[in-house]
Amino acid sequence: MVYKNIHWNDVREGEELPPYTRRIDATTVITCAIASRDFLGLHHSRELAQEAGLKDIFVNTPTFYGFAGKYLTDWTGPEGELKEISLRLMLPCFPGDTMMIKGKVARKYIEGDAYLVDLDFTLEVEAGTNCRGRATVALPASRAA
Amino acid sequence: MRLVDVASDLFERVRQVIGVDGPWLDGTDEVCKPLIRHWCEAMQDTNPLYIDEEYAANSKYGGIIAPPTMLLSWSMPRLWPPVVPPEGPVDRALEMLNEAGFTQLIVAGSTQKYMKPLVPGDRVKFTYVVDDVSEERQTPLGTGYFVNALFTYVNQKGEVVGTQTLRILKYRPGS
Repeated sequence: MVYKNIHWNDVREGEELPPYTRRIDATTVITCAIASRDFLGLHHSRELAQEAGLKDIFVNTPTFYGFAGKYLTDWTGPEGELKEISLRLMLPCFPGDTMMIKGKVARKYIEGDAYLVDLDFTLEVEAGTNCRGRATVALPASRAA
Repeated sequence: MRLVDVASDLFERVRQVIGVDGPWLDGTDEVCKPLIRHWCEAMQDTNPLYIDEEYAANSKYGGIIAPPTMLLSWSMPRLWPPVVPPEGPVDRALEMLNEAGFTQLIVAGSTQKYMKPLVPGDRVKFTYVVDDVSEERQTPLGTGYFVNALFTYVNQKGEVVGTQTLRILKYRPGS
């Protein structure tokens, strides 16, 4: 299979990435928590989540990383390398939410021999923004001649 | 003692753990293809470096790599048989705040940095320190302190593969 890759030369600052949406249900929350080996009851037991004052189980932090990583390398292609991801967590994401990730290129620059791009992105649901993120990825400089 | 002195005394005591070395702990499992594939299945990640043997073998890595964002999952303790983790500086800071009435905790932010990909067969070791404690702050959830924890992950050769910070808000609800 041939995979598409984004090249640094072709990226524009301010360019928007295609949005990505995913319907979040209880299965999503639980399978992602377990895949990240997070067995905290708040991420699989509604009873425990409600005792803690939340309306339901909610997506754990490692899953936001997993979603962000997928979103970013879906855009770059497999030759894009994740260097750094920062998340500011603002609002829980619950079963029944439809999550949308949106992102744009904040900056492109060269550091040593690395062709880098900083991206700003958000994960949003109907109720508001779950988290804001900033990522740095390294890209191949240009299409091979 | 005036309230403000109590607060600054607590702040000084908690700040004493900044930079104190924590223990080195072993990851529960070695990095392996089944846990990588399971992660990709849950996250719906189709990056062929993680799941396509043939593509990965012909890449610059020469084989499957783990998604960098899986970093934290390699250090999650097993559920059973129960493990009692050795007490580290982060636990000590949180316990002091707990005793002072800042009983609730949320993760307000986090940064992961990726230095080197983990590949199947790697054994992860990790350690953690407190690298900053804020002064008492008023937040929408209540007054509290932000404790910044820094985790460092190495492979079996001692190479740093990644770091993760957790910005933990320890707060007194409704205060």
